[in-house]
Amino acid sequence: MRHAQTSSIVIRGLIILLGFQGAGEIFTRLLALPIPGPVIGLVLLLGFLIRRGRVDAPIDTVASMLTKHLGLLFVPAAVGVVLFWPQLQIHFWAVSVALVVSVIATVAVSAAVLRFWPGRKS
Amino acid sequence: MTPLLPIAEIWVYLAGSPLFALLLTLAAYEAGVTIYERANRQPFANPVAIAVAIVAAGIWLIDMPYAKYFEGAQFIHFLLGTATVALAVPIYQSWSALRGKVLPLVASLLCGGATSIISAVGIARLLGADSTIQKAMMAKSVTAPIAMGVAERISASPTLTAVFAVTTGIIGAIVARYVLDALRVQVWWQRGFPIGVAAHGIGTSRALSINAEAGAFAGLAMGMHGVAGAVLIPLIADFVL
Repeated sequence: MRHAQTSSIVIRGLIILLGFQGAGEIFTRLLALPIPGPVIGLVLLLGFLIRRGRVDAPIDTVASMLTKHLGLLFVPAAVGVVLFWPQLQIHFWAVSVALVVSVIATVAVSAAVLRFWPGRKS
Repeated sequence: MTPLLPIAEIWVYLAGSPLFALLLTLAAYEAGVTIYERANRQPFANPVAIAVAIVAAGIWLIDMPYAKYFEGAQFIHFLLGTATVALAVPIYQSWSALRGKVLPLVASLLCGGATSIISAVGIARLLGADSTIQKAMMAKSVTAPIAMGVAERISASPTLTAVFAVTTGIIGAIVARYVLDALRVQVWWQRGFPIGVAAHGIGTSRALSINAEAGAFAGLAMGMHGVAGAVLIPLIADFVL
C-alpha cells in the first residue's frame, strides 16, 4: 500500500472524507441536533485522527486539496449577491460600516484577551 | 433547416446542462487567482471577490437566472461540506501546540465571537438595515460552509450569509495587521488566532502566507469558531434578533 498510485490515494481520501460527512449527516438527523452534519463530521474525523495519532496520506492529500482551494467552493453561493443587489444598494452604508467595524472590533477583542491573559508572556 | 438552428440547439443543450455553470465558475476562479498572483497577493485583489464578479457579470450577460446557474454549480457548492470535514486535519496538526493555551484561546474565541455578532447586528440595526440583513450578519465570522448551515437553522438567508462571510474574510485579511500592530501584539500565535476568529478561511490563508505559526493558529481559530458557532449561534439567535 505504501506505493499506491496517486489516483487511488485521492479516491480513498474522498471515500473517507465523504464517509465522515455522511456519518455526520446521519448523526445530526438521528439525534435531531441543531448542528450542520459536516460539523459533526469534522468532530468525528478529529476524534479519529487523535485516536490514530497520525494523518494517513489519502486523508492528507484530499484534505489539503480541499482546504487549499476553499475559495473556489464559496463562489456559487457568493454569486447569490446578485439576488440581493437592490436590497444591498439601499443599505450599502449600513452593511459596509457594520462589516468593517465588526471585523476590527472582533480582531481587537480576541487579540486583547490573548495579549493580556494573566500569567503568560510568550 | 436554417444554418442557425444547430447553434441554437447546441446553446439550449449547454444552458440546460451543468457544463456551462461549472466551466464558468472554474475559469472565473482561475482568473481570480491569476490576477491575485500578478498583484503580488495584495489582499485587495481577493481571488474569490474577482471570481464572483466575473461569474455575476457572465450570467447577467447571457441572461441566465441565478437559480439556473446554481443548479449547475451546486456540484462545486456541495464540496463545501466535505471541505468542512477536512478542516479536522489542520486542527489536528496544531493540536500539540495547544498545550497550556487552551483556556486563553477559548476565552479569546468566545469574547471575539460575541463581539462579532453584537457589533455587526447592532450597527446594522442602528443604521436602519432590515431584518433580513441583520439575521444574515449573525454567522458572518464563521467559515462560510458552516455559516450557511447555521443560517438555515436560524432562518436567515444562507446566500446572504455567505456573501457577508466572504466580505468579512476579505476585510479581515486587509485590516487585521493594523489592528494587531496598534495593540502591539508581537507573538505569532497571538497574531494568528484573532485573524482566524474574525476572518475565518480567507484570513487564515492570508496569515499562512505571512507566518506558518500564525497560519496554524488562524486555522485552529477558524475550526473552533466553526464548531462553537454551529452550537451556540442558534441558541443565542433569539436573544439578539
